[in-house]
Amino acid sequence: MTSLRAIIAEDEPILAYSLVQTLNRLWPELQIGAVLENGVAAVSEALAQHPDILFLDIKMPGKTGLEAAQELAEDWPEDIPFPLLVFVTAYDEYALQAFDQAAADYVLKPVSDERLAKTVDRLKARLVQHQERNGELERIVGQLRALVPAPFATTERLSIIRAAVGNQIRMIPIGEVLYFEATDKYVNVVTADSESLIRTSLKELLPQLDNDRFWQIHRGTVVNTACIQAAVRDDSGKLSLKLHGRSESLVVSRVFSHLFKQM
Amino acid sequence: MPAPLHMRALFRRLPTDLAIVTVFNVLIAVTLTYLVRTGSPLSVNLAYSLCIGTLALLFCDVPRLLLWGEGKPPRLPFFLILAIANPIAWYLGVGIATHILGIPRENFTLARARNPTGFLTFFALVSLFICWYFWNRGKLQLLAAEAATEKARTAAIEKQAMQAQLQMLQVQIEPHMLFNTLANLRGLIALDPPRAQHMLDQLIQYLRATLTSSRAEKTTLDQEFALMEAYLGLMSVRMGARLSHDLQLPDALRDLPVPPMLLQPLVENAIKHGLEPKMDDGHIGIRAEQQDGMLILTVADTGLGLDAPVSDTPGTHVGLANVRERLQALYGERATFTLTPNAPTGVIARLTLPTRP
Repeated sequence: MTSLRAIIAEDEPILAYSLVQTLNRLWPELQIGAVLENGVAAVSEALAQHPDILFLDIKMPGKTGLEAAQELAEDWPEDIPFPLLVFVTAYDEYALQAFDQAAADYVLKPVSDERLAKTVDRLKARLVQHQERNGELERIVGQLRALVPAPFATTERLSIIRAAVGNQIRMIPIGEVLYFEATDKYVNVVTADSESLIRTSLKELLPQLDNDRFWQIHRGTVVNTACIQAAVRDDSGKLSLKLHGRSESLVVSRVFSHLFKQM
Repeated sequence: MPAPLHMRALFRRLPTDLAIVTVFNVLIAVTLTYLVRTGSPLSVNLAYSLCIGTLALLFCDVPRLLLWGEGKPPRLPFFLILAIANPIAWYLGVGIATHILGIPRENFTLARARNPTGFLTFFALVSLFICWYFWNRGKLQLLAAEAATEKARTAAIEKQAMQAQLQMLQVQIEPHMLFNTLANLRGLIALDPPRAQHMLDQLIQYLRATLTSSRAEKTTLDQEFALMEAYLGLMSVRMGARLSHDLQLPDALRDLPVPPMLLQPLVENAIKHGLEPKMDDGHIGIRAEQQDGMLILTVADTGLGLDAPVSDTPGTHVGLANVRERLQALYGERATFTLTPNAPTGVIARLTLPTRP
């Protein structure tokens, strides 16, 4: 067995330190690849190191453990097994069963040595079923989506997008929007003949959109269904959308690929 | 020591009473002239009734107001006054009226003799009626005053109930906070026992203050700042280098009484919604100062700020609404609470309270 690697995402230094200590004691072969103190760093580090195991604190700055896991599931390369997830939380605010579906384990803080020993046993057992882990990704993705709290749906629907272009405010009827694309701090509003930025996040925008007309197809993309011509799957199984009258195609992530299954 | 004279009651009440009695006096004169038919013209009856009635009122009402104010006078002394004052008023009033009208005294007694029984009966009845009227009015006023005190008492009880309710809301120590703290404590015991002990002391202080101060009606700024010191100490252990804090409480303000758990929720908000979700390091500063007889409490953080996307933990608005409601209940319009953006990032929460409740 090659050396196993784990990454720990925990924003409280003492808790992170004791988790590392306890794991070293209970499972000396396990390498701790990194300890990160926020969700954003955890995602990029995990994508860089491809660890076998991820310990994710649920409540973290930047991204919650659940959001981090979901993002990893979207961007995880096909040819590498998805890491086993262990969620760590101070308070049982989520249904335990839900975690059992998506995660290898789910532990409550403060984590006692006995409890962590159980986790280690579980992980070892799961790692033996190595082949299974590939097919598991799809399943995990679905579970994770169910776990991430949906944005509060507002009754207010946007009918006009007001976007600043230079020193004027452009009024874009919602029907003319082909798709929304999240950039760093803004959202790019793409129409047939223009692109303009609005200062809001996709997260805030989503509840104000009619979810029959606008589908999220990636964590950074929301598309107007009327503009979709076809969904195309390439050789590696990646799904992308062709749009009416546009040259570019939009990538559909694993999390949302179920939207384009045949009827 | 004699009881103080109710001068203010006298000035406030007497004009009204005089006006009422004057109306009665005119009615009496009209009645005497056209119903009892004493045979005297209206002007004469008017003069007599006004003189007698006004004097009677002055002799009865002035002592009453001076001695007992507007409340209900004690029965016996008041009736004594009536018994003495009415005949005197009668005698003097007749004298003055006769003098004004220029009627010789004999004529008056003769004029009255035409229908003496009717006249006397009428006079007695009228006197009784007026006495009864004023007596009742005193009682009505007393009832109104009682109703007002009752209303005030009900309002006070309601206010207390609301306070208790708000305190109940605030005493709920967040399980998250507690379990996370215990988890840190557990880690520290193996890592650094003296520091673990210090942390445990702070946790005890925080719990004690949170669980007892919320039950107390009043606390002092000193105690409140000690509680926040303990809380921020715990949070500093948990967040490590990500959190720095400073507390400024001038010695002169240490013993100032403040409502419990008013400042604490603001500090917890700043941590929970501003600094804990922030990836970079942050600072929280808490300051108390006095200006123009007002106490100004400031909680400034360098967290995510007011327009940060709403986190998955709702509750800020509930907490802030609580603070506002409590201020309203405790101080009405005399206290203010503002939330403003801090530069470059974060929020400044400011409470302005009257130093005297």
